[in-house]
Amino acid sequence: MRDVLRLVWFDLKQELRPPVWIMTEWLVFTVQLFIYGALITQLVVSSKIANYQEFYAIGFVVMMTFDVGSHTGRHFVEHAHEGLLPYWLSLPISRTKLFLAITLQGGTELALMLAVPLTVTLVMIGNLTVLSIFAAICALFCLGFGVAGLMLGLSFIAFKSSDFYTAIVTGLSTVIIRFSTVLYPLIFLPVGYRSVAQLSPLTYGSDLIRLIIGFDPSLMIYNPAIAVAVLAALAVGTLGLGVFLLQRLVEGVKSG
Amino acid sequence: MTEVSCILRLARNDFSYFFRTKWLMAVLLSLHLSDMLVVAYTYANFMSLDYFKFFVPAIVIMGLFVAALDTGRRIWLAFREGVIQYYLSLPISVSGIVLAYLLAGGAAALVYSTSLLLIALVVLPAQAIWSILVLMPFLFILAMGLAGISASLAAVASTHGEYFFAYQSIVQLLLLTLSTVYYPIETVQKYLPASVISLVSANPLSQAAEAMRDFAFAGNPIQGSVLLSILLASVPFTAIGAVSYVSALRQVQKKGKL
Repeated sequence: MRDVLRLVWFDLKQELRPPVWIMTEWLVFTVQLFIYGALITQLVVSSKIANYQEFYAIGFVVMMTFDVGSHTGRHFVEHAHEGLLPYWLSLPISRTKLFLAITLQGGTELALMLAVPLTVTLVMIGNLTVLSIFAAICALFCLGFGVAGLMLGLSFIAFKSSDFYTAIVTGLSTVIIRFSTVLYPLIFLPVGYRSVAQLSPLTYGSDLIRLIIGFDPSLMIYNPAIAVAVLAALAVGTLGLGVFLLQRLVEGVKSG
Repeated sequence: MTEVSCILRLARNDFSYFFRTKWLMAVLLSLHLSDMLVVAYTYANFMSLDYFKFFVPAIVIMGLFVAALDTGRRIWLAFREGVIQYYLSLPISVSGIVLAYLLAGGAAALVYSTSLLLIALVVLPAQAIWSILVLMPFLFILAMGLAGISASLAAVASTHGEYFFAYQSIVQLLLLTLSTVYYPIETVQKYLPASVISLVSANPLSQAAEAMRDFAFAGNPIQGSVLLSILLASVPFTAIGAVSYVSALRQVQKKGKL
């Protein structure tokens, strides 16, 4: 385990000295919530959304989770192309441990990134139990690991063309967020878009977290058990795919 | 080869680099098209105003803004990769290099936002196409001003990528949220303090978004004062950007690095 932690710290310390990325994300969250969120809430007239600012706060936390998860996958590909992957593969540690280090680093980044936004959101919404907070954090981490696994799973494209991978991943990320219930409840999405939104993992993640936090269940179309199953399957399935890729496909990948 | 033709060649090179960056095109197009065809359309279902009609013209200005800001990323890359040393060895003055980058930034942003505008015209018919043509040169100057902001950020951040991207996202966030791109000025007036309201009104993005909504899509007659305000708000940014980029290049010439 010490080897894994050393590897996690080796990579993480570069992002924490100084923690510019994290501080910027916290600032972005604050401005988005208290200026954009507050102003756009003034325009909402539907009685089905009691407080859009709170709805948006949860959505923004889910978006941040998605960003960090997707960053973990992209980071792996960038390292592969910068020549760090052959170095990692030459280390006297198993591939499983290497994968564990990558996952653990993603988890730590997610925890650091969400510390302030999630606290602010939960304090703003208020009236929560320890159990609901714990369940919300679990759902967020499940989603984060699922997205990271998805991006790692797509990384095999990057070994053919890095440019193409970045174009697909970044383009796809925007579309996954917009075609989901992160920014609006499913009932308000135009009928033609709803079926696409039902394929987005973010729909299940954001709906489940909102339900746990105490939002109106009528805004959510799924049975929560289905959302839990989808998130768990996403995390386990895509991380399993990541382990497979790291065991079988990365050997001999050319850098540069 | 004259200085002018060197400047134009350098500008053309930077202009084409913007459109050849596949991931950037994927991000920008997916972001703005999904904002236009999904977010604006969906928000309209639960908002007090016709949000689709309100937001679609503003997305064109958002596209102009984000594409112009990318100039800074290209300048930062040139500093980091040492390409700037090559540019400085060309038979072209320092101010010529700066002018080439600002021209390329403004032109790339204008071409990119025009492509968004063409899509916007399909989904939301405009009342006065002629007004769009009148607005174009002013949007180009605005784009050069925005490219100037971005150039100053790149010059300040030097080769430190994490700082450059942090500065860029903060500037992007503040200029967009403190504008009337997403919400009408009446909403801003109800919620924010008076000092911030004046900033929102003076923001060039607010002025451009209002001009696009009122003159091009609503078909109201063009007011010279609004066009003058866009000019007055853009020129200082262009000047600040040019001065900071020139001084950064002079420093590279003198010390060999930033």
